[in-house]
Amino acid sequence: MNKERTVKIVLVAVIGVVTALGAVPLYRHRHSTMPVIAGPGVTKVIKLSDYAPTLKGTMGDIDVFVMEGKEPGGKAFLMSDTHANEPAGLLALMALVENAVVDKGTLYVALTFNASGSRNTKPGDGYPLYFDIPTEWGQVRFRFGNRDASPLDQWPDPDVYIHYPERQALSYVDGRNTNRTWPGRPNGLLMERVTFAAMELMRKEKVDVAMDFHGAETMFPVTNCIVAPQKSAKIATMASMTVKAMEGFDNHVEPSPGNFRGLSHREIGDYADTLPFLMEAPIPFLDQPTGPKTVKLLIDGKDDFLLSLSKKKKLFVSYDETGWPMDKRVGQHASVALEILKQFSKKNPERSIKLSGFPRYAEIVQNGIGKYFHDPAKADPKSVYFE
Amino acid sequence: MPVITIFYYLITAFIVGMLGWNFWHEKKSVNDMILYLLVIVPLLLRILRVK
Amino acid sequence: MTLQVLLILILMVVAYAAAKAKKLSVELSILAAAVAGGIGGAFLKTPPIGELPRHLVEGMFPYLDVMLVFSTASIFMAIVGESGGINYIVRGTIRTFYNMRVAALLVLMLITLIPGALTGAGSMSILVVGAPVAMALKFMGVPERKRAALLFIVAGLAAAAPPVNIYAMILCAGTAIPYVGFTWTLGIPVLILGTFTVLFYGLKKEGGMNKAEALAAMPEVPAGMSWWRVLLPFLTFFGMVVAYRIWPFGTPIFGLPLEFTAAALVAWLVSPKKIDVLTLSRETVKRLLPLLATMIVVGMLQQIMTATGVRGLFSFAMISTPLILLYILLAVIIPVSEGVLTFGAAAILGIPLVWFLNSIGLHATVVIAALSILWPLGSALPPTALMGRLSVMVSDYKGTYGSFLRKLWLPWLVITVVSILMIIYSAKLSFLVRWSM
Repeated sequence: MNKERTVKIVLVAVIGVVTALGAVPLYRHRHSTMPVIAGPGVTKVIKLSDYAPTLKGTMGDIDVFVMEGKEPGGKAFLMSDTHANEPAGLLALMALVENAVVDKGTLYVALTFNASGSRNTKPGDGYPLYFDIPTEWGQVRFRFGNRDASPLDQWPDPDVYIHYPERQALSYVDGRNTNRTWPGRPNGLLMERVTFAAMELMRKEKVDVAMDFHGAETMFPVTNCIVAPQKSAKIATMASMTVKAMEGFDNHVEPSPGNFRGLSHREIGDYADTLPFLMEAPIPFLDQPTGPKTVKLLIDGKDDFLLSLSKKKKLFVSYDETGWPMDKRVGQHASVALEILKQFSKKNPERSIKLSGFPRYAEIVQNGIGKYFHDPAKADPKSVYFE
Repeated sequence: MPVITIFYYLITAFIVGMLGWNFWHEKKSVNDMILYLLVIVPLLLRILRVK
Repeated sequence: MTLQVLLILILMVVAYAAAKAKKLSVELSILAAAVAGGIGGAFLKTPPIGELPRHLVEGMFPYLDVMLVFSTASIFMAIVGESGGINYIVRGTIRTFYNMRVAALLVLMLITLIPGALTGAGSMSILVVGAPVAMALKFMGVPERKRAALLFIVAGLAAAAPPVNIYAMILCAGTAIPYVGFTWTLGIPVLILGTFTVLFYGLKKEGGMNKAEALAAMPEVPAGMSWWRVLLPFLTFFGMVVAYRIWPFGTPIFGLPLEFTAAALVAWLVSPKKIDVLTLSRETVKRLLPLLATMIVVGMLQQIMTATGVRGLFSFAMISTPLILLYILLAVIIPVSEGVLTFGAAAILGIPLVWFLNSIGLHATVVIAALSILWPLGSALPPTALMGRLSVMVSDYKGTYGSFLRKLWLPWLVITVVSILMIIYSAKLSFLVRWSM
């Protein structure tokens, strides 16, 4: 064998082995599932494609957990993993699905709203693929996803994304961002079909309240807040003041800008009779000036660079040695959601929504969110869903 | 899968083909051989729908 | 933590320097730095060694679509060149505008601005129209070093020009500021700076050739070449780009690679000369190899830098810098970050920078516009030097890369000063944003 051929074979072997070692975890991440137990409050599980047939058979077709009360009342649509790299909302809503019981009204819960994004990673950003939450019976493993859907499900990107129907020019990557593709359309991009299906659900089921759970950097001005358009502002303000007074944490209200299109807090209110709210909990992991992007940083939110910047008053939230732990973020989402439902019910008694069994801020911070996750191995297999 | 997306897999495969041909016919430069392989890797993983 | 991250950074720099000392290429040296950083990080499990191959493979992906754009655009232009189309365009330009120098220069500037303005990538200007523009300049008596410099600066401005500015879009997407209000905020500075640049390099005629001599000196155009054969492929490309702008909800999303592929097919079909596409494509890919490989290894470097905290350290250092010093340092930081990270720099440094400047009362849209005019300059800087290398390639400049860089000094300085003044006086310039709405 000549030398040139030997060199080539060695190179193909070495690069091939490293590629295989690197590619297998990425493939597994995309094809992994997270078990969720439909708890005592779940009355049925439907598909998002029930409201938009063009979603059927695609990665955008997700489970929607329906939790109906004994008494009819108002309706709320709750979604997490719109951005799957902001996971506090997912943990909060999973605890809701596994534990809560609705006494009055109906909840529709979409855990992995952008399922393609939750199976995607962000190349160049060095994220971990998974994170674990400890429970009394072991660890629950969650996929850590990306803000945008995977190109494996929506390819190519346009050179500029033109928002439907307002024609605003947005970044090319925003066509894969389900918080820029609202209100969507039935035959558009896959992510436009996802948001369209959710809009159809809200319009057909006459949903009163929509909540979209996010996380935002501590250096981002719109963080630790409820983003609400004019029509939702009163309820948001009441909820914000109540959690501050009763539970002792800040969560201010930010107005939804009228000229920034495609966001859930803007379009849901403009294209349906629903009151939208978008919740932002601080997530230090996503800040640019942090140390290594580790699972530990994702969970405890402690970072020396951010601490130093906080002392120079360059963060938009209070930040000290305790960081900004996951349980605190999840707890905030839980309490703010409950408070918004309560304030809405107060103003609209005939459409009120009441539930029990969903922990609030103090309980989650004290017990850890893991306490509210149940062992799928011990659950009735018929009640276990894989997201 | 939409027709346009299929075109993208074909375009990617075409470029992988060109890179592969050049790799195979590269006689001297080990540097270029390595670079060809590095460029092929992500394109190939896209065609295989791994990433 | 700072010490730990600094050690990893030092390890990466040492690996890069050692690889260069061993006479390895820029691309392999960047790869060495990325691998060294990953191994260094593994000692502290940031990231654990078992995850290193995954990070390296994942890091190959950030610029995958850009690679497809470069490849298809280059094959398209190679076909147009091979068919004699470029020579034909240049002949036409010289025939019409030869005796009106300022008008000719301004027309060439607009021709160069269009592809970059429409796609957001200055490299598109160089790849699509760089060769014919450089040839026209040659026959107008603009020496090769000035040709390369002119092309680079105008292509950089094309990247910033509206309607598509990828830097601004990345920043807007990352800072949740709407991508509106940029038309005049970017358009006016780009046109002023572009006019200055073409006049600075092109006004003086060096190497006397009159119109007849220029036309006689040009390469022969293949028999049967005509305007429609030249225009049809370009019309195919621009038609597909523009159709989506005009009818965004009735046109499917083709994406740039498919648009270039369609244009390439048309160019091949209408060429008066038989073209062996396979051989031409293989040669084009061979020529592009260093650029494609750069995009791969830069992505890997970025991934490792982020996973290990080195990227965060850079970002931290910048935000911690006192304001006055920061304004001065921007002149260096912004272009250098582009040289190392290309578009990734907008996300890594730009997002926290815009938040910070916004929080001290500057107008975010004007700040983003100003930064996006400054960033493309860095595309001449190593290790990546994407647009710089392309400019030198298409304008046939045979001198050293350093001498090309030195030729950029005055427009570089003017653009830098204008951008930094735009940032400092952004609140006063907010009328530009209002005009654009």
